[in-house]
Amino acid sequence: MKILIAEDDPISSKILQKNLENWDYDTVLARNGAAAWQALQDENLRLAILDWMMPGMDGVEVCRKIRRRRRFKYTYIILLSAKDRKQDIIAGLSSGADDYMTKPVNFLELRARLKAGRRIIDLEDKLLLAQKQLKDIASRDSLTRIWNRAEITKFLGEELERGQREKKAVGVIMLDVDHFKSINDFYGHAIGDQALLQVVSRLKKKVRKSDKIGRYGGDEIIIVLPNCGLPDIRKIGERLRLAVTNRGISAKPDTIPITISAGCATSDLWEMADTDKLVKAADLALLSAKEQGRNRVVVAGEDLDLRKENRNVRTH
Amino acid sequence: MSEPINPDKYDPIDLGAALERIGGDASFLIELLDIYFREYTEKRRLLEEAIARQDFGEVSELGHSLKGASANLSLTRLHKAALSLEMAGRERKIHQVQEAADVLENEIANLKTYLEMHPLAGSV
Repeated sequence: MKILIAEDDPISSKILQKNLENWDYDTVLARNGAAAWQALQDENLRLAILDWMMPGMDGVEVCRKIRRRRRFKYTYIILLSAKDRKQDIIAGLSSGADDYMTKPVNFLELRARLKAGRRIIDLEDKLLLAQKQLKDIASRDSLTRIWNRAEITKFLGEELERGQREKKAVGVIMLDVDHFKSINDFYGHAIGDQALLQVVSRLKKKVRKSDKIGRYGGDEIIIVLPNCGLPDIRKIGERLRLAVTNRGISAKPDTIPITISAGCATSDLWEMADTDKLVKAADLALLSAKEQGRNRVVVAGEDLDLRKENRNVRTH
Repeated sequence: MSEPINPDKYDPIDLGAALERIGGDASFLIELLDIYFREYTEKRRLLEEAIARQDFGEVSELGHSLKGASANLSLTRLHKAALSLEMAGRERKIHQVQEAADVLENEIANLKTYLEMHPLAGSV
């Protein structure tokens, strides 16, 4: 583990360094407060030993600066000082230090105190990991593990903003499995789930890394394609359709033939596209694909004149 | 920090304590003492300048810094002398400052003699 030694006295710094390296820490040295602050911009530097008295910015000031920053992993700070009056200790800890030691340092004690610091850092890491896992669970569909509706809608919004800044179109493909209800009714929901998983897996193999797939509801799947405008989206839609339909889904002993319908829309259809407009247009195109006999791709603005479409799309 | 009751009767360096702080590495202690002497030479020059212009703040800071370095190497008598210098500087007493600076210089000489008579390289 990396540790910062901020100490202006070269002897003190060397002794600390030698001991810490003996205990298998990787040391980073700073001779004044400004250099310490600079070094602490490295997020992997989680442990810091700061001398109180340093030229320029002192240890207490560095402590305060560290505690003021947000969105940084926790830095465990041990403040060192020759000051050993009660009020000095209180002032040191109040500035944000986790621990306080008087000089000359007793190294057995420092070693034990560093272990306590590592426990805090480990706890924070576990907490951050749990938070990340929870966030992931909350952002994904529990069956298919693709993004859930809220997350994919958020992503679409972000991509639209970026597309506007960078003058690039964003595409949306809304697709669903043809006669999915019949598969569920005939083979049961377990097979229906398997079919959906197979479809997702085939789609995933055919999209670009920058594209995102989400479950919009039921068997409806939405794909957000950054940097994808009108000329390209049809090709992609067709590619996806073929990837899904070229072989059936195995439900032993049967193989269920499977097809999908897809509705495509791209943001370059409007001067100012928004999430709602795009999703609605893709939804209308999907509806049109169904009406035209399924197993096909319909592109809004090309196969479907949106100005003539004033019917309400399903609100999910 | 507890001061030794009567540091005068101690050796200039508490070898046991100094070595314990650095895992018993005598050659490292030699290296540190070398740094200490170099630091001292530099600080001595600054101290004389500070005394000449009666800059008590600087005197006190130099005393503080030498006190810390001495404590780290368990240089008991130098630690005491540096503390006197820091205090004298803080109390703005030029006479005491001068006296403490002289004691410091003597103690440095004492330490050097002591180290010549007790070579560290053989103490591991």
